[in-house]
Amino acid sequence: MDDFDELRRLLLGREQEQLRELRERLEDKEKRASDVSGVLPQAVKLSRERGAELTHALQPAVEGSIRETIETRPQVFVESFSPILGPLVRRSIAESLRGLLQSLNETLEHTFSWQGLKWRVEAWRTGKSFAEVVLLRSLVYRVEQIFLIHRETSLSLLHVTADAAVAKDSDMVAGMLSAIQDFVHDSFQAGADATLEEFRVGDLQVWIVPGRYAFLAAVIRGNPSRDLHPTLEQAIDDVHILKGSALASFNGDASVFAPLRPELEGCLRAQYEQKPASESRRTMAWLALASAAALAIFAGMLAWRSEGRWRDFLGLLNAERGIAVTAADHGWFSPSRVAGLRDPLAENPADLARQAGLDPGRIRFDWKDYLALDATSVRRRFEQRFGVPAGVRVAVTGGGLEIAGPVPFEWLERVRREAAQMPGVTALVERDLTVTYDPGHVLERFQAAFPLPPTVAARVENGTLILSGKTAYEWIAPVREGARRLPGITALAEKELQVAFDPALVLRRFEGRFGLPDTVNAAVQEGVLTISGEASHAWLTRVRKGAAETPGITSLDERDLTDLDQRAFQQSKSVIENAFVYFLVNKDNFATEGFAALSRLPDELRRCQTAAKRLGLDIGIEIRGSADTVGNEAKNLDLSQRRANAVRDFLVTCGLDAEMLKPLGLGAPPVASAAEKAVPEQADRRVALRVITPP
Amino acid sequence: MIQKKLCMIGTSGVGKTSLVAQFVHSVFSDKYLTTVGVKIDKKMVAVDGSEVMLVIWDLAGDDDFQRLQVSYLRGTAGYLLVADGTRQITLDQVRDIQKRVAEAVGPVPFLLALNKADLAPQWEVDEAQIASLVAQGWTIIRTSAKAGSGVEEAFSELSRQMLQPKP
Repeated sequence: MDDFDELRRLLLGREQEQLRELRERLEDKEKRASDVSGVLPQAVKLSRERGAELTHALQPAVEGSIRETIETRPQVFVESFSPILGPLVRRSIAESLRGLLQSLNETLEHTFSWQGLKWRVEAWRTGKSFAEVVLLRSLVYRVEQIFLIHRETSLSLLHVTADAAVAKDSDMVAGMLSAIQDFVHDSFQAGADATLEEFRVGDLQVWIVPGRYAFLAAVIRGNPSRDLHPTLEQAIDDVHILKGSALASFNGDASVFAPLRPELEGCLRAQYEQKPASESRRTMAWLALASAAALAIFAGMLAWRSEGRWRDFLGLLNAERGIAVTAADHGWFSPSRVAGLRDPLAENPADLARQAGLDPGRIRFDWKDYLALDATSVRRRFEQRFGVPAGVRVAVTGGGLEIAGPVPFEWLERVRREAAQMPGVTALVERDLTVTYDPGHVLERFQAAFPLPPTVAARVENGTLILSGKTAYEWIAPVREGARRLPGITALAEKELQVAFDPALVLRRFEGRFGLPDTVNAAVQEGVLTISGEASHAWLTRVRKGAAETPGITSLDERDLTDLDQRAFQQSKSVIENAFVYFLVNKDNFATEGFAALSRLPDELRRCQTAAKRLGLDIGIEIRGSADTVGNEAKNLDLSQRRANAVRDFLVTCGLDAEMLKPLGLGAPPVASAAEKAVPEQADRRVALRVITPP
Repeated sequence: MIQKKLCMIGTSGVGKTSLVAQFVHSVFSDKYLTTVGVKIDKKMVAVDGSEVMLVIWDLAGDDDFQRLQVSYLRGTAGYLLVADGTRQITLDQVRDIQKRVAEAVGPVPFLLALNKADLAPQWEVDEAQIASLVAQGWTIIRTSAKAGSGVEEAFSELSRQMLQPKP
C-alpha cells in the first residue's frame, strides 16, 4: 500500500465502505427485494395519485396471471371467493324474501281493515296494485335510484334503480343534477368546497354525497333515517378506492364503472313500518286468506262452468243455420254480447242460450237481419210462406226445391206461381207427385166458372160433378163442354138433372147447324122436328143424320117434305125406260120411228146420272135389245144383241161412259103359238133401256 | 360507449335551442332554460365507425357573457358557438364569448354554426369575415335550424374533433 492509497483510505475510507455496501446491496437480489417491499406501498399510492400509468402498466400482467390461475387452479378462486359470494348471495336472497314477506304481511294486515279499504279505493283510482299501495303507505323510506356522477364532466357513470322505481334518462338527469348543484353553488356564492347536499320534492328527496372525482345522488322516497348517510358515504368511498384512477382519468367511457353496480345496489335500501301484529289478527288474516282462496276456487269453478256453457252456446249458434256470429264477448260481470247476422226465421238465440244453460236476459244480442241461402234456411222460409200439407215431402238441394207426395192442387198451384221468386230457390222439381183435390175447392172453382141457376144443385164426389134439379139446355151445354177442363173434375153426372128446351131456341140451333132452305118450313114441338116443302137430297140426308143430335130434337117428321133430287131421278128414269128405239126388219139399223127417242136419250141419260149422283147412287144402264118372233132363236138373239150394241155405240159416240152402258140381247119374246110367231111385230124390233140402281 | 359533454353557446335569439331541437328529441321542457339556465339533451352520433353519446348542455343565451353560468362549462369536451348570420352583432359577440370560454375551459374543440342559412339574402355576415375566422383556425358551418341543413354535419364534425387525441 503506497502513500496515495493510505491517503485515499484516510480521506474516503468511510465513503468507500458505503459504496461497497451499496454495491453488495444492489447485487444481492434478496436485499434489493426487501428494500423495494419497504417502499412499494408508498410508491403505489403515489403512482395512483399521479395517474393511471401504474394501473395500465400492471393491468396486462395482473390480468394474465389471474386468467392463468383460473384456468390452471380454479379452486384457488373458488376458495377465495366463497366466503364473499356466499354471504352476498344469501343477503340478496334474504333481501328479496324479506321484501316479499313484508309485502304479503302488509297486504294481509290491511286486507280487511278500514284503512285497507281506503287503500283499495286508492289502488282502484290510481291503477296501482293493492300490494303496491300497501307498501307505499306503510313505507318509511326507500332508496329508489342511485346515480354515480362524474364531478368534472357531470356525465352519468352508473345508475341503479329499485325494481318499482321509474327513472328518466339517467344521462340527462345526471346532467341536470350537476347543473342544479352548480346553479345553487353559483347563485348563493357558497364556499369552494360547499355542495348542495340534499333537496326535497314532495315525498321524494335527493341526497348528494360528494367524493373527490364523483358524487352519489340518491333518490329517496319517504323519510330516511340518518343511518342511511354513512352507507352512502361508504359507497362513494368504495367507489373511489376501487376505481379511483379510472375516475381521475375518465375520458367518457362509463363502461369501466359497471363492476361497481353491487356497491351501488347495496344502497337501494328500504324500511317499512314495523307494527306489532297481534296473533289473533294474524290468525284472522290467514283465515280470511283461506276463505278468499276457497271463494276464489269456487268462483273459478263457476267461471269454468260458465265458460263451458258459453262455449256450448256459441257452438249451438254456429251450428244453427241462418245465424252467423261475427263477434262474441263473454262478460263475467257485465252482460255478455253476441253480434252477427240472423235470418228472421232462424232459431231464437235466446232459446239456444236457455238450451246451453245460460240466462238470455244477461246476453245482449245485436243481430242484423239477412236472408240465409243455405238449404235449411230456404226450406224454413218456404215452410213459413207456404206451409207444408201433411204427407208432402219438401227438400232443398242446390237451389232446387223438390216436392213429392200427395199434394193439394191449390197449394201446388201457389207454389208453382211463387216459389221461384223466393231467395235461394232457382228451380221447382216435382217428383212423384199425386195431386189431390178438395171437393169444396173444386165446387168453388166450378161455380166461379159456371154460376149455378137457382134450380140446380151441384156436388163433387171422387172427381165427378153431380148435377141435379132442373135447368135450361143453354146452361148445361157449356158445362158439358168446359166442366171437365176444370181441375178436380173428371166426369159429369146429369142423371138427376132435368134439362128443358125452348122450341124456338132449339129451332134456332137447328137452323144454325143445318141451315134452312127457303123451300123448307120447319117447326119443333115436344122434341119433334117437322119439316115440309122441298129440299135437296143432300140437305135432307144431313138433317136425317144429324137432326136427332141437335139438343132438343128427339125425332124428325119429314112426311111433307119432297126430295127434289129423288123426284128428278125418278122422272128421268121413267123417261129413259119408256123410250124405245126401233129397228128395221131383220137388221140392226135404226128404223125411222126410233130416231126421235134415240136423239133424246143422251141428254136424258146425263140428267139421270146427275140426279142419281145427288142421291148417292152409281147407276148402270141396261140396253135391252129384242127381235121379232120371225126367225130362229139364235139368229134373233144375235140380232137383238147387235141392236143393243148399236144403241150403246151411238150413246158412246154421244159422249156417255161406256162403262155405265151394258148392252144385252134378249132375243125374241116368247110366243104362245107358231102362228103368233109368224107375225112380225114392229114393237118387238126394238131396244129398251133400264136404269139399274145398286142394291 | 364514449360519452362527451358538449355545450351550446351563443347570444339570445341565434337559434341554439332550435338547432338542438332539430338534432334531438328532448325529454326536458324548454322552461329549464329560463329557470336553471340550461337544458340538457342527449344524442347518439357515429364518428368514424364509433358511437358517441353527446350530452348536450344548451346554455341560456344572454348578450352579456358575464351572466353566463361558467360553471356549466366545466368538463365540457367541446362547444358549439352559434351566431345569427342575419345579425352581424351576434358574430361579434360570439367572438368575445369564445375568448372567455377558452379562458374558462381551456383549449377544447369548438365549432361556429352560422345559423339561419335559409335567410341567406338577409345576411349581414359576409364571406370576408368568415374567411378571416377560418384563417384563425375556426371551423365554421352554415346551418339552418328551420330547414335542418348543416345541423347534423355541425354536431358530427365537432364530435369528430372532440374524439381526436389531445396534443
